[in-house]
Amino acid sequence: MITARGLSKSYWVARHRRGALGAMRSLVDRSGREVRAVRDISFDVAAGEIVGYVGPNGAGKSTTIKMLTGILVPTAGEATVAGYVPWNQRKSLASKIGVVFGQRTQLWWDLPLIESLELLRFVYRVPVDRFQANLTEMRSLLDLDPFLETPVRQLSLGQRMRGDLAAAVLHEPPLLYLDEPTIGLDVVAKARVREFLARINRERGVTILLTTHDLADVEHLCRRMIIIDRGRLLYDGSVEALRQRHGSHRTLVVDLEAGATIDGFVRDGVELVRADGPRRWLRFDREAVSAASLISSVVARAPVVDVAIEEPAIEDIIRGIYEGGLRAEPAVSE
Amino acid sequence: MDSQIGAELAICRRLVGARLRGQMQYRGSFIAQIAGNFGVNFVELIAILILFSHFGAIGGWDVGEVAFLYGLSCTSFGIAHLLGSGFSSFSTLIHQGTFDRVLVRPVGTLLQVLAAEMQIRRLGEALQGVLVLGAAIGFVGIEWTVGRLVYLPIVLASAVLLYVALFAIEATVCFWTTQATEVLNAFTYGGSDMAQYPLHIYDGWLRGLLLFVVPIGFVIYLPSLYLLDKPDPLGLPGFVPFLAPVAALAFAMAAAALWRLGVRHYRSTGS
Repeated sequence: MITARGLSKSYWVARHRRGALGAMRSLVDRSGREVRAVRDISFDVAAGEIVGYVGPNGAGKSTTIKMLTGILVPTAGEATVAGYVPWNQRKSLASKIGVVFGQRTQLWWDLPLIESLELLRFVYRVPVDRFQANLTEMRSLLDLDPFLETPVRQLSLGQRMRGDLAAAVLHEPPLLYLDEPTIGLDVVAKARVREFLARINRERGVTILLTTHDLADVEHLCRRMIIIDRGRLLYDGSVEALRQRHGSHRTLVVDLEAGATIDGFVRDGVELVRADGPRRWLRFDREAVSAASLISSVVARAPVVDVAIEEPAIEDIIRGIYEGGLRAEPAVSE
Repeated sequence: MDSQIGAELAICRRLVGARLRGQMQYRGSFIAQIAGNFGVNFVELIAILILFSHFGAIGGWDVGEVAFLYGLSCTSFGIAHLLGSGFSSFSTLIHQGTFDRVLVRPVGTLLQVLAAEMQIRRLGEALQGVLVLGAAIGFVGIEWTVGRLVYLPIVLASAVLLYVALFAIEATVCFWTTQATEVLNAFTYGGSDMAQYPLHIYDGWLRGLLLFVVPIGFVIYLPSLYLLDKPDPLGLPGFVPFLAPVAALAFAMAAAALWRLGVRHYRSTGS
């Protein structure tokens, strides 16, 4: 479905000059610096896969997606998506893909949701009966009915995202790109988005490429993930293998009562990684130790005011890859 | 190919309809804005009339003939400004990164940008142009021949196309820089202001600019020589007044090519 070979994108950031004269000079004098947003990235996505495209902010995730939709023309490299070269056959590709940008809507701001969906029917030239069938399905899957007549600007972020998801699949694209689809959503709304994506992948066979910096999205949805950092491909392989090596650790954060101490606390699979005033960070392997049993053994040792559990962040896993020298699995399966 | 264009126009009509329904929600201010735009241009016309009360004629053209130029330019500029509203607000589309969604839809980008915005208040500008043009035609007493009757609407359409293309070029620059694009208003507003006077009053380079760079002279002044039956002080060949549609089409095609180049330079802001 997607083939990318050596994709690179560099920007030339011109020196900023003020005012009208400055702008004119910027047009002529091109001094500035080059920003290499994406460097030499290659991968394949097979039909029916859900692939997580993961990296910290500014890693080049969106830039990659934008090249694969045809929004941006790459500086170097090749790609075919659904049989098209995105930046040369952008309009033909457009009806084969659905695109959801988490931070901006595809819907008409001033119009009720249903009118946006109907406009998109014309834009994508969806036959009336197919449109009606899809709309009925989306209304029940995404529970759109309570806000179908509400102008998009009045929708909550979660509702808007559900509207955007419906808008992206009404023309039955075989491939769906999602750029940070869960950003800013609460736990319930996130779960709903994930459930929807899993379902259209399972039932309609829609191929999904999603960027996120929330590892929970990947764990719930993807068997395969691609990690990029500072524009470079760092890992392309199974989510499970990566979790086993780097992601099975969680951190228990406990606030002790004033004067209390847990110095000398020892347990298999648990490591005291940081101490700051009354606060202690205990890293534990969740395959070996359950959070509940760890908490009770800490509480048994010293009075505790507060506890919290931190999931590993993508930055931690990336650090682990750099430190542990995890070899990226073959990025391209020929 | 034809059915392709037809389908795109149908989509365009829907999109414009949607945009208008959005605007109609604020009906009161809507009527006030049309009246306001009408008024602003009226002041301009009075300035020209005052000029005449002092000089009697401009470059050998009397008040009615200059009013004809004014009406022609004003009408076509107003219609173009209305149709090309999407171009005037294009820098916002680039700034907010909303152009991304234009690019992922299976409809032409120019059409989508045009359909995204339609400032109905600009109808006021066109309306005033039509009134002045009508008055001027009555005042000058044009000798109507079949040729002139047929050519006048062609001239108007050509001028509209040329001004829309000018707005398009102004928008295209946003692909490279969104700083200080107001500088380019010199070409749109400035161009239409200059077209309100007979071209032969301008000197060398300015006249060349208005003929061969931005061919406003070809769509307003030169056709008016024929329509008003005026002698050509520039001594150009006799067929030149009839080149309005050719000049407008050529300019529009150049603008479209520039636009396509711009789309490939689009950098998409934000994440």
